[in-house]
Amino acid sequence: MEKQKVLYESGNELAAYAAKQINYHVMGYYPITPSTQIAENLDLMGAEGEHDIKLIAAEGEHSAAGICYGASTGGGRVFNATSANGLLYALEQFPVQSGTRFPMVMNVACRTVSGPLCIKGDHSDIMYMLNTGWIILFADEPQTVYDMNLLALKLAEAVNLPVAVAFDGFYTSHQKRKCMVFENDDTVKSYIGEKKAAADVLDLEHPITVGSYMNEPDVLNNRYQLHLAMKQAKELLPSLFQEYSALSGRSYSFLKGYLHADADILLFLLGSAYHTAMEAVDILRKEGIRAGVITLLVLRPFPWELLSSFCQNAAVIVAADRQDSYGADGGSLSLELRAALQRTSCQAKVITRVYGLGGQDFFVEDALCLFREGLQENAASFDYHGIVKGSQGAKQPVYFKPLSETDTMKHITTCSYDASAGKMIVKGGQLREATAMPKRLAPGHGACPGCGIPVNLNLLLKGIEGNVVLLFQTGCGMVVTTAYPKTSFKIPYLHNLFQNGAATLSGLTEVFRQRQKRGEYPEGEIAFIMVSGDGGMDIGMGSALGTALQNHRLIIFEYDNGGYMNTGYQLSYSTPMGARSATSHVGSAQYGKTFFHKDTPEIMAATHIPYVACVAESNPMDFIRKAAKAAAYAKDFGTAYLKALSACPLNWSDSPDKERSVIAAAVDCCYFPLYEIENGITTLNYDPEKSGKKIPVTDWLSMMGRTRHLAKETYREIAEKIQTETDRRFARLRARSENPLL
Amino acid sequence: MENILPVTNDNGYFEIRLESIGGMGANLCGKMLGELGALYLSLNASSFSSYGSEKRGSPVKAFVRWCSADRQIRVNSPVVSPHILCIFHEGLMGRLPVLDGVEENTKIILNTPLSPDKTMQKYPFEKGELYCIDALKIAMECHSRINMVLLGAIAKASGFIPLDCVKSLCSDTIGKKYPDLIASNMNGVEKGYEILSEGIPVSADSQKSTSFASKQAFTWGYDNAPLGGVNPRFGSTVSNDLSPSREGYIPLFLQEKCINCGLCDSTCPDMVFQFREGSINGKPAMVNGGLDYFHCKGCLRCVAVCPTGALVKALEKDYPEKPWFVPNKDLLPDSILYEKNGPNGWITSDSYLDEKRVDGGIT
Repeated sequence: MEKQKVLYESGNELAAYAAKQINYHVMGYYPITPSTQIAENLDLMGAEGEHDIKLIAAEGEHSAAGICYGASTGGGRVFNATSANGLLYALEQFPVQSGTRFPMVMNVACRTVSGPLCIKGDHSDIMYMLNTGWIILFADEPQTVYDMNLLALKLAEAVNLPVAVAFDGFYTSHQKRKCMVFENDDTVKSYIGEKKAAADVLDLEHPITVGSYMNEPDVLNNRYQLHLAMKQAKELLPSLFQEYSALSGRSYSFLKGYLHADADILLFLLGSAYHTAMEAVDILRKEGIRAGVITLLVLRPFPWELLSSFCQNAAVIVAADRQDSYGADGGSLSLELRAALQRTSCQAKVITRVYGLGGQDFFVEDALCLFREGLQENAASFDYHGIVKGSQGAKQPVYFKPLSETDTMKHITTCSYDASAGKMIVKGGQLREATAMPKRLAPGHGACPGCGIPVNLNLLLKGIEGNVVLLFQTGCGMVVTTAYPKTSFKIPYLHNLFQNGAATLSGLTEVFRQRQKRGEYPEGEIAFIMVSGDGGMDIGMGSALGTALQNHRLIIFEYDNGGYMNTGYQLSYSTPMGARSATSHVGSAQYGKTFFHKDTPEIMAATHIPYVACVAESNPMDFIRKAAKAAAYAKDFGTAYLKALSACPLNWSDSPDKERSVIAAAVDCCYFPLYEIENGITTLNYDPEKSGKKIPVTDWLSMMGRTRHLAKETYREIAEKIQTETDRRFARLRARSENPLL
Repeated sequence: MENILPVTNDNGYFEIRLESIGGMGANLCGKMLGELGALYLSLNASSFSSYGSEKRGSPVKAFVRWCSADRQIRVNSPVVSPHILCIFHEGLMGRLPVLDGVEENTKIILNTPLSPDKTMQKYPFEKGELYCIDALKIAMECHSRINMVLLGAIAKASGFIPLDCVKSLCSDTIGKKYPDLIASNMNGVEKGYEILSEGIPVSADSQKSTSFASKQAFTWGYDNAPLGGVNPRFGSTVSNDLSPSREGYIPLFLQEKCINCGLCDSTCPDMVFQFREGSINGKPAMVNGGLDYFHCKGCLRCVAVCPTGALVKALEKDYPEKPWFVPNKDLLPDSILYEKNGPNGWITSDSYLDEKRVDGGIT
């Protein structure tokens, strides 16, 4: 046995630790709860030079999978981690990876698939992978996550298939346990061995074509090869387990059971719940009930022979699914169990219970309840466990009167279009008068104290009179306002995942016009506004560009706090260069984020929509007036895009009460210029240089904990780069504002 | 090593629950307790936080589960009946069911400046043994944090955790990453251990009825919830009372200095300012009618922007009756029953944030 040491770590931390020891070439990823910590921990270790893995934060999971695929075709060892809708967003790429036979390893911290959106754990994501041609290992506890991660790569390269290592989100991904890891990384490296790529696009002496266009019968043959690879994996796994056992002292198999051999009643379930069920088994055994529990550690290749043999002596099997294949009266696991038993002489009665969806906790009492249901003579063959009927009769309070169009049509900020100048003339927008605008959001939302998001929303909506319908993309703004069963919105609101908000609102806008055209909906106007964070404008950039190119009559409002704050502050493309984040740590080998902040307004401007503007709460009147203009443009001309720099005291690491001055400093240092582009003509609304207020960017950067280090001598070169780039971008803007042709 | 756990539940676990507010460091404290069990006390251990909220100011829980080294940790559900319950913020008492699951032998550690007698008069304890400690004061005195002081207090209350073990844990974990902070935080742990006095069994006459049994007047379930998660209760977060989010300070309104400029309303994230139609110099105008303190989280943005000093930072405890406290002006009459439960949110990537906040100062 090789030398090992004790760690106290979570499943995510151990997945990262294993990856570090393997020292993969590339990790392409996109942060998604609960798998994000894997990339975060790898970044933390990388910042201190503990590995050489090139971590690439893609702009979405689909691209992350693409990065992984590309890297794997070039003879590299490749790693990824995802969850839930991230997995589904990348799903299309998985059969490409397996069908062209490039091995890699991906961790899946299992989480429920939206919507309604929920971040907690169940198995609805991983079950989508069953038909992708990937090997799927399922770890039931943190130690297994570590061990499986090592086994996975060995197996992947032996059979030329990608491998997913799945485990329960939160229960396994976040709970810390005492675990053993190999003390020396070299032990892991020699166990894995040298990479021998079966195909390598970078082998210039032997040029290959990857991804042929293929017809029948070649596709059929290709798929049969994949089937054979799965078969080979099944044959190989026992010897791999044996080899690993000799190395680590920990033995694995396709499945495991607890007191299952003589059990009359068996509970069959997946993941961390297996261990909880063991407690229930002990309790039942004391009562004289011969209970047992079994779980799978390998889902693909499916070990139906072994699974059936474990069930041979049981009279009843309760198959508990943390996922439902709706309409099939069972989740994928219980359906596969039933199919497996069909292939043998096993006469056990199988009942299915769907449990624990959306991260509903699984207590020992729940396991006992499942067993006791199974012991009943007339137990239903299929049901849900743990559902609640809801209370009857109680009157629900109504807090507000719905806002009518006249309630909000205050004529405080008004616009008229000057066709000859090609400009929208705006009047009003005085702060005191604008306090009369009813708030479209109710208080009581869960944003952190001092959060900029509600501040920006209120300023935006102060300037937009009349009917408003909002769409929020996933992000802090959405989460803190709509935690069920409450909602902050006093006006109609819709959420969609952040790859797709702009497209969704385009559809809503167009159905509104269609229904009006057909006389199905009253005359009048509605301002449609999509609200997104800068994260949503990364992963949802394509959708936003599509909407802008179609020029749908709506507003895209971006609150840019420079990071994925909702998931614990990972870098976004808008994060300032050099800033510290959970995926751009500052350490001896890394100075924070390594590339410049994204210039989203300019990208949107390139679609030639009628109105693009930047707003800041430090200039509130300018903000309100631009909001009114955006609404006026959206009403009559097409897409308007507004971007606000939005404070995040939690992750900017500054004081909530200072935020307005921090925003003002961002404007004064020209990092966040206030300008607008109307019908292609740029106007600089505020020139800090001309006002004598210009400050160096480091004055702004040193106001925030995330960038304070950049003011130090060590990082002077980075700070100078940021200054130069900021000045260059601002000079271009000024030139454009001075010359309408530009 | 022998099993040192003095008591365990039916499944063989010794369990700890920390009840706190986001930003106070309960997550790190729980993690350190887990590590303490696993690496310093020769136990098996697990620790995790409620996956509820990471937003600063929201209620959070952390759980620790220990068992003897020859057993496996097989339970991963939240701790229901803790052997040690540590409440990081007195403001949670009476607002949230933080005492749920307390048994006769539960040691309840409460961060409060009050004595145990006063505490028992004030709050509805039913069972358990009460330990009171002014962790905030101690933390401020030794430039440590509340979570470090409470870590020391938990060790003391447990009756079996040697202070030396906690100290080596601190020097190994904090000391490695933040060598500058180790001395003050070690001091916090020691003071927490030293100052915690004997626990007092909760007296019978202090029993008051808890109000949480009837809390859930209405629930949505499969039989009555609108399809697809549609929520018709527009504006319903207004029923959240967010006062527990405040960290000791309020904006105080000096109305006579107010020029009704509206800047406060433009910077408030929580719709606190209730402007109404009034008059300025005899002319009709919007005027500041007061503050809705139910929803003020105490961020003090308004104090920072007020150009005339009409809004000033004040200690909340000095103002039991807040002047110019008006409810949300748009509320329908009699529509509201405040639920003092703070906002809802998520916890996601916890380790990074908590570690980042080990800054040597108070929370």
